[in-house]
Amino acid sequence: MKENILIIGGGIAGLEAAAQLFRLGYNPIIVEKEDHLGGHVAGWNRLFPDMSPAEDLVARLTEAAGEANIFLNTRIAFVNKLKDSYNIMLTNGISVITRILLFATGFSLFDASKKEEYGYGVYDKVMTNRDLENWFNTGQDERIPEEGPRAMGFVHCVGSRDEKAKNPQCSKVCCITAVKQAIEMKQKFPDAMVYCFYMDLRMFGKKYEDFYISAQRDYGVRFIRGRVSEVSENIEGNLVVKAEDTLSGKPIKVTLDLLVLMSGIVCNQEICKSAAQLSLPMDSDGFLKSRDNVADIIESPKEGIFYAGACTGPKTVPETLAEARSAALEIHNYIISSRK
Amino acid sequence: MIGMIFILSYCLVALVRIIMQLPGNDRKKFFISLVTPKTMAKNIRDIFCDCLFHVKLWKRNKLLGYMHSSIAFGWFMLIVVGHIEVLLYTPHRAKLLYFPIFFRYFVAETEETMRGAFFFFLMDFFLLMVLSGIFLAMFKRIQSGVFGMRRTTNPSFLDLIGLYSLWAIFPLRLLAEGFTADISGGSFLTKSLNYVLHSFLSDHANMLPAWWAYSCALGIFLIVLPFTRYMHIPAEILLIPLRNAGIKIRNARKGLAKAEVYACPSCGLCIDACPMGVMKTHIKDTTVYLNRQIRRNNERRIEEISDKCLLCGKCTAICPVGVEGDKLRIAQRSLRKYAINQDYSGIDTDQLHVKGEKVMYFAGCMTALTPAISKAMESLLRKAGVSYSFMDRDGGICCGRPMLMAGRFDQARQMVEKNTEIIKASGADTLLLSCPICYRIFREKYRLEGIRIIHHTEYIAELIRQGRLSMDKGYTKYVFHDPCELGRGCGVYEEPREVLSYAGELVEATKNRKESICCGGSLGSLTLGFDKRKSMTENALANLTEASPDVIATACPLCRSTFVRYADRPVEDIAEIIDRNCI
Repeated sequence: MKENILIIGGGIAGLEAAAQLFRLGYNPIIVEKEDHLGGHVAGWNRLFPDMSPAEDLVARLTEAAGEANIFLNTRIAFVNKLKDSYNIMLTNGISVITRILLFATGFSLFDASKKEEYGYGVYDKVMTNRDLENWFNTGQDERIPEEGPRAMGFVHCVGSRDEKAKNPQCSKVCCITAVKQAIEMKQKFPDAMVYCFYMDLRMFGKKYEDFYISAQRDYGVRFIRGRVSEVSENIEGNLVVKAEDTLSGKPIKVTLDLLVLMSGIVCNQEICKSAAQLSLPMDSDGFLKSRDNVADIIESPKEGIFYAGACTGPKTVPETLAEARSAALEIHNYIISSRK
Repeated sequence: MIGMIFILSYCLVALVRIIMQLPGNDRKKFFISLVTPKTMAKNIRDIFCDCLFHVKLWKRNKLLGYMHSSIAFGWFMLIVVGHIEVLLYTPHRAKLLYFPIFFRYFVAETEETMRGAFFFFLMDFFLLMVLSGIFLAMFKRIQSGVFGMRRTTNPSFLDLIGLYSLWAIFPLRLLAEGFTADISGGSFLTKSLNYVLHSFLSDHANMLPAWWAYSCALGIFLIVLPFTRYMHIPAEILLIPLRNAGIKIRNARKGLAKAEVYACPSCGLCIDACPMGVMKTHIKDTTVYLNRQIRRNNERRIEEISDKCLLCGKCTAICPVGVEGDKLRIAQRSLRKYAINQDYSGIDTDQLHVKGEKVMYFAGCMTALTPAISKAMESLLRKAGVSYSFMDRDGGICCGRPMLMAGRFDQARQMVEKNTEIIKASGADTLLLSCPICYRIFREKYRLEGIRIIHHTEYIAELIRQGRLSMDKGYTKYVFHDPCELGRGCGVYEEPREVLSYAGELVEATKNRKESICCGGSLGSLTLGFDKRKSMTENALANLTEASPDVIATACPLCRSTFVRYADRPVEDIAEIIDRNCI
């Protein structure tokens, strides 16, 4: 009989791992709480740095994982620890007995309304990075007028690198996402003024720096180094954004008709419950704790439980996919060595 | 005898020093107040109520009140009645201070004194009262919880000597008087003890060691008194008239500050009150330990304790002798020297001038960071048909309170001056504030004659009472969190509750009003990190949600944004609630 492997989460990590494990001859079972696969990436429009459509990636991964057992709209109800395996009860009434669990639970986007000074949910013209991607996909959002904004801003590090927001970690991907979205807006509305308010620009990945330079040189995106201090609304309903330009050392004030908050990555709050049932520890950054943060990032401290993707910290799409593959390989090795 | 002379001279010197340390005009104010009949009467009343009867402690906990007033009032009456006895029976000795104390030792019972049985009864009665108080005090050392105190102060070595000698005085006095009761006379307590003692110790020579032991205990107590917490007994008598004279702390270590430090009885009530007390590591950062460190001149610890405090003012509010823990700390902070002293005199107020309406709304920095509040406030003003101008819509100057809290008085003064210029030039007659931090400094430090300074809770209450806003009362259960600066700081407790009761059902937190617990977000602390503040916020939230309200209401933008981070239910400002519920 084929070995069951339960994969929690049907995002890109879960799909990729399932495809690999299936090819290695196991029986992966994906449990996904939403009604669709692909997780956050499925809600994205195009992916940096090559502007490849996110839709294509999700479609390809879904196809590759097509042979796996996939339960949508399903969560884990409870977990029973047996002698050397787990009996996992799902909310759709099916119970799975497995020796191996793979957490591919991903992340949650920081709730931008918690940073009240930026006015998300208070002012009409404030949106998040996800809202903007959604508009790229659907073209429907009341906050963006048909003729486009005249002046818009991106606020970096909303709810990341922010002790007050309980998340001192860098979310890693928002810098480049903001640059990407700024370029996309400029492509759509060349006449719009686009500002980016940043603390640091962390352009660590392949071709990111080129992307950033292109945003400045080819698209004329204005980068202002300094955090936004407060946002208020003027009589016309436009946003007055105050910030400090730390390079010139002066406070600045600009009037915008659209503000996009780059919400950071925080650990998926829902998995805390499942993690607690399995008594999996959390690391001090609020994400799941690996056996070793250098050599064994995909292994949990517990026998038979593995991690892949953003459940152990913010990751880019290629990093997540690479982790999913290495988790599959690690599981394979684990099974072989336990058979001996 | 030596003890008595020592303590009297010490107190006298200290008294003169403290009074001399007051600035000239304050000293004048103090002396005038001493002879003003009104404050004189208040002084006498306060001294009796606080020093002898401990009215404040009775209100807190009956046992604690009884313990203190029995010892203080009992002892006081022993001294008074003792003197009366001496005056009546041996008038020629009345000049000797020690005579009444050892009266029974010197006087043999005669026909004349027998007629004074009434006084003897009184003496024994008060002695019994003191003894019961001492017994309670001993019990309190073991079980402070019974007295409503979860934690008490850790006494220093000298405090312990003082404590044990105080405990010893009265039992020894009983013993000594018991031995001599058949000669000098006595009443129900001493006489009966005398019979018991005589049944197995018939030798009168025993009385000498007993009297010696008594006088030694008394002597030790009086000699160590200035160096222990018992210094609060004389210091409080000075502090009361100083306070009633309206004198404020002007120097971190001298004058009133010194009187307050010495008046601290080290009772430790502030330990339970302190919001930092949720973490054991912060117990030694409470006001009682600040006072101890100031007496010891331990500069490092003084700085640490002063900077850490949230300045919520709860220790001041509950202190039985009236030590102002928050103001004392601000005064310590003002001693600090900074390398850079900002100069705000260059700010051009011309750009910030607002002209026009009678009502001027100043939102302040904190409200600017919680735009939902200013938005709701503007909407309310429009609904009520108030024509207003928004003083800092386009940027403004800080009210100055944060700088004042940091002890940087000069910087604060500059901001106060700049804002005063803007407000006076606007022609407004009402200044409306939605932040209690601003509200407090506007009330305390600004000189805005003819301009009414009002907090938005008070203003909304007024608008509703006048019928300019009509409310739709719902079924939502609200609990009101008293912000430190609004409640303890400005004494506004009723209006927010009144306003909320128009919107829905009002429930109360376990600890509220004067005893409300700081949200943990206060600007007051200069050194506390977020991890430490978190447990304070959680503790404050637990206190608020005891009556399971649907919504936590507050009237301070800083409390609101602090609570929002950790609360399990909505946290809203009163302005938002009213804006939603008014028709």
